[in-house]
Formats: sequence, C-alpha cells, structure tokens
Amino acid sequence: MERVVITGLGAISALGIGADKNFEQAYSGKSGIDYLKLSFNRKIENCVAAQINFQLPELLKRAELSLFDRFAMLGWIAANEAVRQSGITQESAFLDSSGVFWGTGVGGAQTLENAYADLFIEGKSQVRPLSIIACMNNSPAAQIAMKCGFGGTVNTYSSACVSSAQAIGEAYRHIRHGYARRILAGGSEALLTFGIVTAWESMRVLAKADPAHPEQSCQPFAANRSGLVLGEAGAAVMLESLSSAQQRGATILAELAGYGSSNDATHMTNPNPAGQARAMEMALSSSGLARSDIGYINAHGAGTPAGDLTETDSIKRVFGYHANNLMISSTKAVHGHALGAAAALEFVLTVQALRSSSIPPTAFLAEPDPMCDLDYVALQGRSNQHITAAMSNSFAFGGSNAALIVKEFNG
Amino acid sequence: MTTFDTTAKLLAERLEVDIDVIQPETKLESLGADSLTIMELIFDLEEEFKISLGDERPNLVTVQDIVNHIDKYIKLAAEQHA
Repeated sequence: MERVVITGLGAISALGIGADKNFEQAYSGKSGIDYLKLSFNRKIENCVAAQINFQLPELLKRAELSLFDRFAMLGWIAANEAVRQSGITQESAFLDSSGVFWGTGVGGAQTLENAYADLFIEGKSQVRPLSIIACMNNSPAAQIAMKCGFGGTVNTYSSACVSSAQAIGEAYRHIRHGYARRILAGGSEALLTFGIVTAWESMRVLAKADPAHPEQSCQPFAANRSGLVLGEAGAAVMLESLSSAQQRGATILAELAGYGSSNDATHMTNPNPAGQARAMEMALSSSGLARSDIGYINAHGAGTPAGDLTETDSIKRVFGYHANNLMISSTKAVHGHALGAAAALEFVLTVQALRSSSIPPTAFLAEPDPMCDLDYVALQGRSNQHITAAMSNSFAFGGSNAALIVKEFNG
Repeated sequence: MTTFDTTAKLLAERLEVDIDVIQPETKLESLGADSLTIMELIFDLEEEFKISLGDERPNLVTVQDIVNHIDKYIKLAAEQHA
C-alpha cells in the first residue's frame, strides 16, 4: 500500500489568514472570539463566536461571486494556499488522478438565509437564480476541483463536526489503496447566520459569554466551562502518495500515518467513550505506531461539560498509563468550533505542532475540572517539545468519531 | 437610461470589462459570460425594471438579444398597467 504524505497546508479562521498565522495565534493563545455580529440588523444577546471579521483575500472574479457562498469562499482560500504550497499547478501531470475530498456540516447557510429573507421578509416571489449552486454542500469541492483542474474523485462528507476529519481520512485511504495519486482534502464552514445560531442556542450547548473577557468564553477542560463557541473557517491539506511527491521532488511536510472512524451507535448527542476509543484504536492500528509513539493529541475538546469528560475517559481507555505522558490541548479555546471545518483546521495545527516541536496550549485553562485530570497544556504553549507523532480527535452529533495521526516524515 | 445602457452597465460591472467594448452586436460569450452569468444578469434586470420574465428560456447570444427580451416584458408590463 502507498504511504500518504502532506505537501501543503492552508487555513483561514477567526485567528487570521494562512496556516502559519493560524498556528502562531493558537500557539500564543490569542483568541479570535468576540461578540457575534449578524446580518439583517439581528442580534442574539450575549452570544459570542469565532467570526472572521476581516476582509477576505480577493481570489475571485466579480462574475464568480454569486456562485460562491461564504463557506465555499473560505474553502477556496484554504485550498488555494495548500495547493500553492505543494507546487501543483494546472500544468502538472496526473491531474486526472488528483481529487478533492471536502467536509462541511451545514453548507451554504448564508445563501439559504438570504433566500428565505427575500421570500419571507421582502415578500418576493423568487430568489437569486444561483442559490442552489451556491448553497449545495458539494459546492466547495466542485469549485476547488475546477480551479485546480483535478479530474479524479471529488467527494463531499457531511457528518457534522467530523466532516473534514472523514474527508481527510477517507482521502488517506483512497490514496493508500491506489485510487488517487493526490487529494486536496479539508473542510469549510460559514454558519454564523441568525437562523443557524439561534437553532444552536436553542439546544443549550453554547458557552455563556464571559462579560469581562468575551474572548475567553470558550474554556475546554475547565471547571467552569459552559459550552462550545461556534466559529467559521476553512482548512486544507494537500495529500499525495509518497511516490507522487518524490517523483516531482516536492517538499514533504509530514506523513499522514493513520485514520480511524467509528460511530457510538448509542445516542444522537451524548458522547460515548467506547465509541471514541474505537476511532482512536483504529487510527493507531492503521498507523502501525505504538501508543507510546504519540506525544500530543489535539483534542476535540469543544468545552461542553459532558464532551470534555468523555474524551478524557476515552483517551485513558486507549492509552492506559501513557495517557499521563501525553500533552493534550484544545485549540478551540481560541478558534472556536468550526464544525465541518473544525477537524481540518485542528489537523493543520497538529501538523504544525509536530513540525515546529511547539505545542499550542489550551488557552484560558486557569481552573481545570478535577475530573479532567490529564495534561491539557494549560495556558501556555510549550516549545522544544520534540514529538514523533500526534493525533487529532474529532467527535460529532450523530455519534460519529474520527481520529487522524500525523508523524514525522523520515524518508 | 435605455435598456441597452442598463444591460451594458450591469454586464461591465459583473464581468469586469470596459463598458465601451459592449455593443449591441457583441456576443455574450466573447465577454466571458456563460449561461450562469446570464441567469444572474437577467435576474438583476428583472429587479431593475420591476418585471417578471416567468419561466421563458430564450436563447440569448448577443447583448441585443437580452435587450430585446427585456424590452418585450417592459412593454407587456406597461400594457398590463395601462
């Protein structure tokens, strides 16, 4: 079977533009969270979010704009960065065995909301003609494939918060088994609309805003954590078979060494440690690594009372005594929970942690929950932490679990 | 503004081309407008002139084809209004 390597990274989130900027901010614990600003003069009281409030890079022609919902724009920004770093162009060979595997939870929320506003508020009888093209979940994957000229398999995964972990993981399997030479994999999400956020709010799972420090409202593994903070983002990795990367003399950033996927099959929202453990075990098994080879876990760590406790339990189940040696952090404290983009964003950060020997912290973790008793790299990032492999966990409503393992590339 | 002027202005903005290159006989394809761009343009023109083109799906090749199509419905709307 082929080995799978990473030759490009891309990211955009409330932390900034570019994979490097995102990692710098996460490492230094600088938060992108603030009070949510909504369109249509709507307001949700005391609601915080990891919102991208800066100008997006202008990568599109004006004529294309109506084809792109915000989630597709974020997707293309991230994908464009990753593919550029890899050095693959429209002139490269083997474009027909290059694909795109993408994840999104909600899809084109803003396009849909605009259409509903036209119909229900403005009383119009029709909506913009490209609304369907813009809001369909496979829109980013299709646009990225067209822009890169990738004519191989193009798939979209929509499994809530593990969507982009499945996209990256299934791409890994696809390359390993020889169905593709290269896959641009990742995810994007732009769900900060009045309707969608209100629906989340109604579930009573969102964090309460910290009035003194709104940017610190997401507190994974903390005693006083009150829930998750929604975010928007796009993130991507250029994956290739080792032979493809070596043939074209590409710079190899790291090796995608393992992937595991499972479902709790127990409850739509309550997390299950056995289900989570199955995904981590499967990822370890496919990587061929020992438990002790994993030095860092980028946790799902959304900041919900039940979720963080269950993840602590599942990590202990899988790693046994080695769980105490692991550095574990949730970067969601600063970039929020970007749902369908979350796993890809966190995987990009995990790759950078491995490459830079710098572990990003769980920011703002001043008072840990005594029941969450592992090393969550509280408050401060740690430099000079050489690790050979790292895991990124993602768990979702609907019971889906996924774990990705990245390791140093050693030829 | 005539229908042509409005059409040319919207096309120039949307396609980021110089308005002076847009003439009645200019082929839409030569401006870089594909079928999806034209759908969007027609929608904007419907809003601009407050008309509804319904479900008619004409074959529009030149800028003048769009102008004729829009003018037909402007005239129809005026007749209905009268």
